Amino acid sequence: MTPNGAVAFALLVIVSALLARDPVGLLVILTATSCFALASRRPVWSALVWSCGIVLPLVLFMTLVWIIIVGRAPHEIAANVEGSRSAASFYVTIICLRLFIIAFTVQATFLHFAGWTPLRFIGALALPRVAKKLLVLTLSLIDTILQAVDRARTALIGAGLITRQRSWRNLRHGWILVQTVWLTVITIVLGRTRDKWPVEDTLARLEGSLAARATARLSATDFGWMALAIATGVAGLR
Amino acid sequence: MLTTPRLVAIALCAALNFAIGNIVYLIKLPIYLDSIGTILCALLIFPNRLAAIACAFIAGFISTILTGLILNPFLPWFSLTVLSIAIVSALLTGLATATFRTRPLPVVPFVTKVVLYGLITGIVSALASAPVVVYLFGGVTGSGSSFVVALFLKTGQQLLDSVVLAGLATDPIDKTLEVLLAALLYRATPREFIAMLAPAQPSAA
Repeated sequence: MTPNGAVAFALLVIVSALLARDPVGLLVILTATSCFALASRRPVWSALVWSCGIVLPLVLFMTLVWIIIVGRAPHEIAANVEGSRSAASFYVTIICLRLFIIAFTVQATFLHFAGWTPLRFIGALALPRVAKKLLVLTLSLIDTILQAVDRARTALIGAGLITRQRSWRNLRHGWILVQTVWLTVITIVLGRTRDKWPVEDTLARLEGSLAARATARLSATDFGWMALAIATGVAGLR
Repeated sequence: MLTTPRLVAIALCAALNFAIGNIVYLIKLPIYLDSIGTILCALLIFPNRLAAIACAFIAGFISTILTGLILNPFLPWFSLTVLSIAIVSALLTGLATATFRTRPLPVVPFVTKVVLYGLITGIVSALASAPVVVYLFGGVTGSGSSFVVALFLKTGQQLLDSVVLAGLATDPIDKTLEVLLAALLYRATPREFIAMLAPAQPSAA
């Protein structure tokens, strides 16, 4: 399976989940996503646990708001009828199931490429060159920012301006930390764009590396999975 | 429009959105602070408004996609909100760039502009987010504003109205804070870096 096919499958499943009208349709779509996850031949548990962890707080919030506090479904509010908690529960079930499918689909897609580096995955995507370059630069700068946070924090702790534990001093000097991080990152970026990258020809090498990783846009397997996603989407509409 | 320095600025602002947004999301603060990079990108590239809108939107969009893949899979649905923030920042907030960089800091004009543009950004962002919050989340996103939604629903308001009203009650505070932080970071940015983002001047020869 190619990354393009996996992304296309995920998008089709997500659109299908958004269009599905009842829990049965959503369960059909969830079954297809589960098959997709199992086809990766990697442990599916981690994806399931992660998706549950994302959706569970929303389930609790929705239960509290819709079933306990409001006690009726939106269509009942719109029709200005008294409504019931069971209708509210049905509404919460559909929304939560839909959100779980979206979260699980993203994780299932990741499972297929678990051993890949971000550079390899981005290089294989059918995206414009500039978009790929931007994604790689952003990932690189995220690490730069996180390293700058570590460095600035250590320096300010050493200078006695902030502390390791929670304190009023941290609140008072928090802005100095933010400013230090920003100036550190800007200095690094200026140094890279002005001196380091031209000397090492980094951007041209990056483009070459991304071009070398380009693979076939879609394979026969991709078309099979996409057909399954469309079929479950149609089933979900009924 | 997308020169190499601007590509770097977009990536930097996207990384800033990602880093701050994720820290706030992970420590469960009752605010988002995930658009500081988007607003900052528009300020850095202003006065070229079209480029500022495009670059700020791309920065915001990339950060929502990356956050969506790594941490919160529901964030990419708010891409329209990102676009609205980019437009307001490039067309309105950018007008205050001179005030934001004046030394010494003119406190009253600075605060007035931050609050004014923060409120406008918040109102626009609340209106743009409401349809997604209603359709995808059923009005409840898991943040503290969900209780405000519940309060309005309990009084018999329609779902969309409740979400818009709750958004208008909470988003302007968040966005004012974001405009303030973006303005302060813009103020702290070296002139050399901003000059690098200006379009290349045609040579006289």
